[in-house]
Amino acid sequence: MKTIVRLAGIIILLWAAGLADNAQDVQTDHAVVSFSNPAKPGTLEVDINEGSITVRGYEGKDVIIDARWRERILTKDEQEELAALAEEEEELDEEEMARKRAQAEKAKGMKKLEVESAGLTIEEEENVIQVNVEEGKRAVDLLIQVPFSTSLQLSCRDDEKGVAVDRVDGEIEVETSEGPIVLTNVSGPVIADSSDGEIKAVFGKVLPGKPMSLSAMDGDIDITLPADVKASLKIKTDEGQIFTDFDIRLTPSQQKKEEDERKEGGGYRVSFEKATLGLINGGGVEIQLTTYEGNIYIRKAL
Amino acid sequence: MTCVTIREGFVDYLTGELPAGDLAEFRGHLASCPACREELEGLSAVWTKLGVLPQESPSGALRSRFYGMLEAYKEGLGKERVRISLGQILSDWLGRLMPRRPAYQIALALVLMAAGLGSGYLMSVRSRSTARTEVAGLRGEVDAMRRIVAVSLLKQASPSERLLGVSWSARIDRPGEEIIQALLDTLNHDANVNVRLAAVDALYLFYNHPEVKEGLIDSLSRQSSALVQMSLISLLVEIRDRRAVEALERLVQDEKLNPKVKKRAELGLVQLS
Repeated sequence: MKTIVRLAGIIILLWAAGLADNAQDVQTDHAVVSFSNPAKPGTLEVDINEGSITVRGYEGKDVIIDARWRERILTKDEQEELAALAEEEEELDEEEMARKRAQAEKAKGMKKLEVESAGLTIEEEENVIQVNVEEGKRAVDLLIQVPFSTSLQLSCRDDEKGVAVDRVDGEIEVETSEGPIVLTNVSGPVIADSSDGEIKAVFGKVLPGKPMSLSAMDGDIDITLPADVKASLKIKTDEGQIFTDFDIRLTPSQQKKEEDERKEGGGYRVSFEKATLGLINGGGVEIQLTTYEGNIYIRKAL
Repeated sequence: MTCVTIREGFVDYLTGELPAGDLAEFRGHLASCPACREELEGLSAVWTKLGVLPQESPSGALRSRFYGMLEAYKEGLGKERVRISLGQILSDWLGRLMPRRPAYQIALALVLMAAGLGSGYLMSVRSRSTARTEVAGLRGEVDAMRRIVAVSLLKQASPSERLLGVSWSARIDRPGEEIIQALLDTLNHDANVNVRLAAVDALYLFYNHPEVKEGLIDSLSRQSSALVQMSLISLLVEIRDRRAVEALERLVQDEKLNPKVKKRAELGLVQLS
């Protein structure tokens, strides 16, 4: 009996929270999309300018999309544009002003409806679901649930919240400019790039075969691999440092090319690729890590 | 085509007897299926080893003896339907060949061994030079196969497969124009920063090709990613080409350039002068 009362309490709280949401005019969108061939692993492509993307694997066949729109901070250009518009408005002539007043009179006692959600488009074609947000609309926080085996292609620019992915086994391609990239319980292959953000990737397991590559300009790269992973690391960093608790055998770059011997005079030259190579457990999946200033952390999973 | 039908075609492919019509599909499948690719690489390695072995041809005597024996066997079957197994005939026949006294047996064994060693030595001397050219030829074929696989991998939709294409390209001994062009295309047009970065590294290995130097210098102004720009600048400084100076000067003029890239480019100019 007690638990029922408690449950009821929770439900009421949730409902109240929903009301509060409405009161604050937070606009949300909800959509469920199916892949045309659910038996085969599908692909989810999301490309947004401002906002964040969170993707979670779940035991289902559909893709569930929840969008929360938020007031975005206007860019400098847009602020100037708005200011210019406001100035123009002051110079409106008498006739225009009268019209505006009449319109305000008509709307008395009514509230304005937001039609902002038209900015979100979702398309499905040949097992690829594309989610796009029209430019110039408000920022959006997307929470998307996908089947575990889905491949992801996520791009998020100009926002500090970035991209988070949890429990997805498909191939993951992520790109952010400012925000961080946080991947947990993934198995790869992962191809990630961030200009100013950090990249954190925790692998539950690592599938052999396909190569991976993570790159960051200023941020750190922090990856956690299973203790028994077989991997060949290729690390390049200009100003960053490399840390690890794995027993990594570092070798000078082994990729070398010898000049063609047939050349006149028998010219002979050996060139080396400029990278540090390290083998974990004898080597295996190729993982390339590139930073400019950021540090690189290679952790062993507990 | 499924993996099974593809694998059936491996031998035809290696001997160059695959019908022209199937070739494109065959290569397409190879590009998309890592398991088949691995199988083929393994097979071509075995093929290389087999190619080195001298060809064994049975002597004429063996042939006539075999047919004689077969006739005898058939006759035996025909006459009384005496059930004598082939194994029994063979062992009888071998027994007749074998000398009775152990001393002779040992002598025969020694003679056979000496003959074996001698002919082996002779054959190895004769075939060593041909084997060498054959190995070179096969290496060339493996290179050609890598070129085909690399080019088709570079066109895949998945960035991980394109990365694989770049790393296959880096393993090619003589890349040829096709690979160089494909890598330069990847460097300039691939949508993914990581793939472009890998292309810079792969091209570095081939920078003694004139079109690579030119392509790298030309690419500097086309890159939008700061990381790729950095990587290209380090590389251009490394190969010490005078033409890079001009490209770096132009880059430094760009107002929208990332300040860190600008600093690196200025340092590069000092290093090159």
